[in-house]
Amino acid sequence: MLKVIKPGVFSSIQDLGRHGHRHLGVSQSGVLDPIALKAGNALLGNIETAACIEITVGLAEFEFTQPCNFAITGGNLNAKLNSKALYPGWRYHARTGDIIKFTSHPDSLRAYLCVENGFDVPKVMNSRSTDCQAKFGGFEGNPLQKDDCIPFSKSLAPCSELAVKPSDYTNVVRVLKGPHCDILPEDYLLQLLSQTWTVSDLSNRMGVRLEHSSLLTHQESIDSQGVHPGVIQLPPTGTPIVLLNDCQTTGGYPIIASVIQADLRHFSQLAPTKTCRFELVEFDVANTALQKQEQKITRFKIAKQQLENKK
Amino acid sequence: MTCVQCYQLSEQALVLSIDGLITQEVRQKLFALAQTANNTNDFFDIVPANSSITFYLNDFTRTNYWLEQLITLWEKSEPEAFTPKTHLIDTFYGGEYGPDLNEVSELTGLNQKQVIELHASTEYQVGFLGFLPGFGYLESLPEQLRLPRKATPRAHVPTLSVAIAESLTAIYPSSSPGGWHLIGRCEQPLFDPYADSSSLLAPGDVVRFIPKEHR
Repeated sequence: MLKVIKPGVFSSIQDLGRHGHRHLGVSQSGVLDPIALKAGNALLGNIETAACIEITVGLAEFEFTQPCNFAITGGNLNAKLNSKALYPGWRYHARTGDIIKFTSHPDSLRAYLCVENGFDVPKVMNSRSTDCQAKFGGFEGNPLQKDDCIPFSKSLAPCSELAVKPSDYTNVVRVLKGPHCDILPEDYLLQLLSQTWTVSDLSNRMGVRLEHSSLLTHQESIDSQGVHPGVIQLPPTGTPIVLLNDCQTTGGYPIIASVIQADLRHFSQLAPTKTCRFELVEFDVANTALQKQEQKITRFKIAKQQLENKK
Repeated sequence: MTCVQCYQLSEQALVLSIDGLITQEVRQKLFALAQTANNTNDFFDIVPANSSITFYLNDFTRTNYWLEQLITLWEKSEPEAFTPKTHLIDTFYGGEYGPDLNEVSELTGLNQKQVIELHASTEYQVGFLGFLPGFGYLESLPEQLRLPRKATPRAHVPTLSVAIAESLTAIYPSSSPGGWHLIGRCEQPLFDPYADSSSLLAPGDVVRFIPKEHR
């Protein structure tokens, strides 16, 4: 088990998300950085969909009550195993009683703690992700709390230390043109693209709200339609909202743009007061970027396999 | 006259959107199209809304094919091809179950019995789900019952409350904040993530409320 000593600001069990239930009003949930989870799972030889803990801000502390091969990925929240510094993109071994502690880091917001074979919580609607709004999935439907004991299978043999180079995070995010630019004032898409936006402290796993001194206010609404993580809504107040994994399934604000899937992960690290910019691309760029990301994980898995075969 | 367009919203999402008056016939055509598309294995989710459907593609190399094919399927779509499932929902109106029934009666100028009869005499269709898992937006409320949302939303709407606002009625599948007028409560669970069929209501389903005596 992994015993929660301190849950920190916000920690929850997440996997690659709950898909296919949006028509029933069920959110996607899941890690905000799927590449970080895939990398962590690859390091440990887990299946891609194994569940991890997503740690927001840090200030979290956990005790391993059994031997465990684990990996940490995502942002650097200055983690330590007892007194030993840990780095994102590496896998390590913990003995019974070892304590893993995440402090915090001014440039990072979220880290991922993966364990061999993943956290063993029940699948609900085909996913282990916590739906924090609807309160199901994950560990008893809630973010982690002090004294929760999360089950996982004991690692039989300690792993060697191994790393995968983490993909860098950036605050320049590529977007696709949205369908409602023509009902909004003419230059709003251009303004969205030319301004540097500041992440508001009203941001969370549902969405990132962006601020700027000149707001893109308007009076348009659209007939509610399906929305999903990555969609950038522009409410009449003029502060764009980048929808993230816990977002609702339908929305009635005009959609000015959509963040490409490969780049949505960067929002996992953009804390309030950080800035970001958008860059317009076409669909082929979005598709290629996603393929490249997948290929990188696949290449790592192959290299790791070759390394293990040599032993 | 309606005008249809199909566009790509993001890598995996295609949207078929109808411009113009959404008649009952258009609505049934949309649900029939959603059903047809659901029978292919090309989509991992299909989300109908008021005047659009969002289709989530498994394989983005099929984008161009489906952008054209969805329009073709829309043109061929027959309203009669969609047979909705009907749910009869036993409902306790008023009293502790419907704390706003009195206010609704005052605001509409109808007596409580008339409000209940009117609400229960109508067949509603699930336009789409959203807001909470299993929360269906049920259309359309009789004109005489249409009221704006409450000026101050309740912090806590009890689970299974039957509520009305504007042209819609709904049942809260779980407790949440909410600004609709609560006129009754039902007993049938609306959403259970642990059940095989998690949501009682699906887009296009028809709902009728059956008034029950308080126990």
